[in-house]
Amino acid sequence: MPQTPNIVDTVQASQQSITAILNKIESVVLGKPKECRLALACLLAQGHLLIEDLPGMGKTTLAHVLATTLGLSYQRTQFTNDLLPADVVGFSIFDKESNRFELHKGPIFNQVVLADEINRASPKTQSALLEAMAEQQVSIDGITHELPLPFFVIATQNPLFHAGTYPLPESQLDRFMMRLSLGFPDLKAEKKILLNTAQRTNQTTRDNTAANGGVIEQEELIAMQDAVTQINVSNDVIEYIIALSHVSRRAYSSHSNVTHSTQTNTQVNDAEINCKPLSPRASKALLQAAKAMAFIDNRDYVLPDDVQAVFYVVCQHRLEMQPSQQLGASHINDNSVANQILKSVDVLNPLGHS
Amino acid sequence: MIFFNNKTKKSSSGTLGKVNVSFCLSRKNAWLLWLCQCLNIAVIALELSTWMLAIISLSLAWQALLLHNSRDRVKTRKKVSTVKHLSQRQHNHHKKQQASIVSPIILGIFALLGCIAIAITAKEVGILASMVHLLCFSYVLKAFELKARRDFYQLLLLGLFVLASSLIFRQDLVFSFITLILLVINLSVLLHFFSSEKTFASNIKVMTVILGQSAILAVVLFLVFPRLSPFWQMPRAKSAETGLSDTVKPGDIANLSRSTKLAFRADFGQQAIPNYSQLYWRAMVLEDFDGRQWTRIKAAPKNSAKASASNTFSVNLNGSDIVPLNYQITVEPSFQKYLFALAPAIASNEGNDIRAKSDYTLMSSKIITQAKSYQLSSFLSLPLALELSEHSRTVNLHYPEGSNPRLEQMALQLQHNYPEPQARAQAVLSRINQQNYSYTLQPPLLINNSLDQFFFDTQAGFCVHYASAFTFIMRASGIPARLVTGYLGGEFNGTNTGDKLSDKGHLSIYQYDAHAWSEIWVQGKGWVRVDPTGAVDPERVNSGWSNELLQQQSNLNNELFSLYQLKNIALLNILRLQFDILDYQWTKWVIGFNSKQQYNLLKHWFGKMASWKFALIIAIALVISMVMLMLFLHLLNRSKSKKKPLAKWQLVYQKSLGQLAKQGIVKPAAMTVNNFSKQVREQYPELAIVFTRLSVSYNRLCYQTLAKDEQLKLTLTMQQQYQDFCQTLKKQP
Repeated sequence: MPQTPNIVDTVQASQQSITAILNKIESVVLGKPKECRLALACLLAQGHLLIEDLPGMGKTTLAHVLATTLGLSYQRTQFTNDLLPADVVGFSIFDKESNRFELHKGPIFNQVVLADEINRASPKTQSALLEAMAEQQVSIDGITHELPLPFFVIATQNPLFHAGTYPLPESQLDRFMMRLSLGFPDLKAEKKILLNTAQRTNQTTRDNTAANGGVIEQEELIAMQDAVTQINVSNDVIEYIIALSHVSRRAYSSHSNVTHSTQTNTQVNDAEINCKPLSPRASKALLQAAKAMAFIDNRDYVLPDDVQAVFYVVCQHRLEMQPSQQLGASHINDNSVANQILKSVDVLNPLGHS
Repeated sequence: MIFFNNKTKKSSSGTLGKVNVSFCLSRKNAWLLWLCQCLNIAVIALELSTWMLAIISLSLAWQALLLHNSRDRVKTRKKVSTVKHLSQRQHNHHKKQQASIVSPIILGIFALLGCIAIAITAKEVGILASMVHLLCFSYVLKAFELKARRDFYQLLLLGLFVLASSLIFRQDLVFSFITLILLVINLSVLLHFFSSEKTFASNIKVMTVILGQSAILAVVLFLVFPRLSPFWQMPRAKSAETGLSDTVKPGDIANLSRSTKLAFRADFGQQAIPNYSQLYWRAMVLEDFDGRQWTRIKAAPKNSAKASASNTFSVNLNGSDIVPLNYQITVEPSFQKYLFALAPAIASNEGNDIRAKSDYTLMSSKIITQAKSYQLSSFLSLPLALELSEHSRTVNLHYPEGSNPRLEQMALQLQHNYPEPQARAQAVLSRINQQNYSYTLQPPLLINNSLDQFFFDTQAGFCVHYASAFTFIMRASGIPARLVTGYLGGEFNGTNTGDKLSDKGHLSIYQYDAHAWSEIWVQGKGWVRVDPTGAVDPERVNSGWSNELLQQQSNLNNELFSLYQLKNIALLNILRLQFDILDYQWTKWVIGFNSKQQYNLLKHWFGKMASWKFALIIAIALVISMVMLMLFLHLLNRSKSKKKPLAKWQLVYQKSLGQLAKQGIVKPAAMTVNNFSKQVREQYPELAIVFTRLSVSYNRLCYQTLAKDEQLKLTLTMQQQYQDFCQTLKKQP
């Protein structure tokens, strides 16, 4: 392949930057290297990120540090239940002097939009993000405005059982490539957090992040994103992803079209997994995220390991029949639907050829 | 059977809990299965004894009740609580399951009792019938314990066995057709189990098409499969068949005349069919009379048999200038040994299986349990036995004196009035003709089968009455006479061109054509046939049944479509005759296709050869067809799953996995190669380096896009790594 050396070089060249970025993020979000990598992979794969956790777990910090490290313009918007769509996308206002309507751009006209506590806003406002997330453009008063590139929405949300939350509509949930959850820090990390806070009691977070500044330039980020799309994917990996999504669709397809889905070689054979089916968008996201993981891992080809690494965060929120109602349900556990699906597909022989 | 078992094993091992615990037929399937069982049993019901039928119908009713109850239960449940979710439904299923399962202890006791009953009656009904009983019994009981899919398969297979065994008893066209339809239904029930979303009718259609396709194979096997006699034999069904018996009382044949069953068929080929009144099909000669009934003499003395054998031969030699009448007879299974012929006749394929007897009857050496064909040549104009041995003269003059005094007295008087034997016979016939005798199927009851009473008082009877009375008079008056039973006439079926010589078709002789007549021995003429029935009802002898008799018969039979009605409605009669032709062809070509005909057919195809060559050809053909079948299945499977050939590195990796599995490390299917190598590293640090290398190579070969030469190099490296891996493994304690 002609671009193979090309991509290999790009991957190698980017490694330094990636290590730098990761170091930076990990120095702020302590004790969570895995989550940091996933978050970075999400942005490299040009996906939007949803971070769900209890208040005070460092959601906003992670979102913040991501935006700043990548050297992007960002704005934080606190979503509340009385927030209106116009507050997010912007509105036209009549200017007396120039005698015409002028556009007041909302916070969405930034490269990184930090939608804090997104599930506190009404569904109407949540939906205002839809067009922006899908098309990277917004329409105000019938005029379409392009958004700056690269464009990310990093949203945080509280667990749904918290007071005053609206569950995100499925259509919007589907547009987030990943849903991350940070979870409690371990002993060592927590100690470190406490020590750090003590050291800079009078420093604000703003100072902190401002001092950090960006590690890479915008152009470099775009180049990296391009490189991610060019990562090689072998047929086996594609089949693996197809097999995974077929397992989730089995409950739906078993009535009409049994031919293929029954052939996916499965361990948990006919025991039906109770889940929503994965859309082709989901499998696309899965592939893209896996590529990004491979990129971060300094590889120019995707391994099933990459797919497995991102499967939970990419797919769990699309698979759940009901949004998690319990504390910590969004943490990876062995009984989750995503893990059941993973366990049911043979890595070496995903489509059950014999 | 094996095929099915394998399948269930496979599925039950895969989905262990699911199949075993909650196997449950849908309501529709359950009812279909029940219906199918009823039909299968109905087919064989005639062969079962009454008590078994009672048990079976009881069980089926019970089964139906259970099915019905389960429906009610589900219904009420649905009413009480709206069915919300899967769990609820499963609960319902569970209930239903419980409702339709009878306690195994009760079932076991029931089964045991049934088996004991069958064993007790086994001596009475014969081994075959008791086996059929056992089969049907288990078929019905199995339905109570449908716990797994395997049971369902077993039940269906049992059903097929029941169907097949019903063919032992009857093989005519209609019955075979019914069986075929039932086969389709049985298999459709199986198909419906798997594709219940389609309608049953469409499943039947699919099944018909499939069976139609497989018919080719069936035809080929039918033609070439070797019919080796120890294996290829119908079990002998001992069945109470209608037909002639070797003892005849007056009134016996009247019962037989109610039956419209086919007795045999005669095919005269291109030859002219003799007149109706010539068609006396001889079956048995009854010479022993004890005053009540006529009996065949069991074992004739040897010397007389020899003498008569030479008689038949001399007949043939003398009659070489007479054109013989050649014809073929196809007998339906009668479960007797006697055969039919127009006497005097010789069987052209006379050999081991057909014996000509001294009284010009033919006997089969075996009981006829299957349709049997044989070729005959008859010399109708030749006399029978010009010489009468002393032994047979005494036998044929014997009568128990004083059994019918009035007849004896009359005989003496006749002897006095008519010294000439034939004139004497004529006198009796004219008496029958002139006086008020009537021919009827419903003769008045005779006390002790007294011939006196018949001849002088009731004067109404059937052929046997007249024949026995006549024979008795002849004997009493000193003329050797005997009673002959057989069939008279037959129904012509075929194209009737008007010109008798070019008629083409066959005669069908039914049980109602059964007849009895007399023979008297006249010096110089031999045995002369005298049919006293002709004196009372000439129509019977010349053209068959009179309308009056047919009417009587239909009244007696009380059937919806009696012969009388059928014969009267022209269209139906044509249909009946057409069907008879079909049935004849069926019997002739399908049922009558035995090893001899198979041999002839093969000879026709391949020319004359030694039989071992035939065996070889058939064996080779079988082997080839089996191989073809396997190949076909193999191709079918391959096209279905598009088997992907494993690459070299995949093979190598699988091999190494196998090696590790021997050591007790099994890779879970869902585990990636990298993770597995990590696991190996933890468990067997000695193997860590080699196996990790191997895994990395595998990953690269499998997932990285490599140039051809690079791939080749890496594959070689990987093989080398595999060798290293194996060696390290060997060093392991």
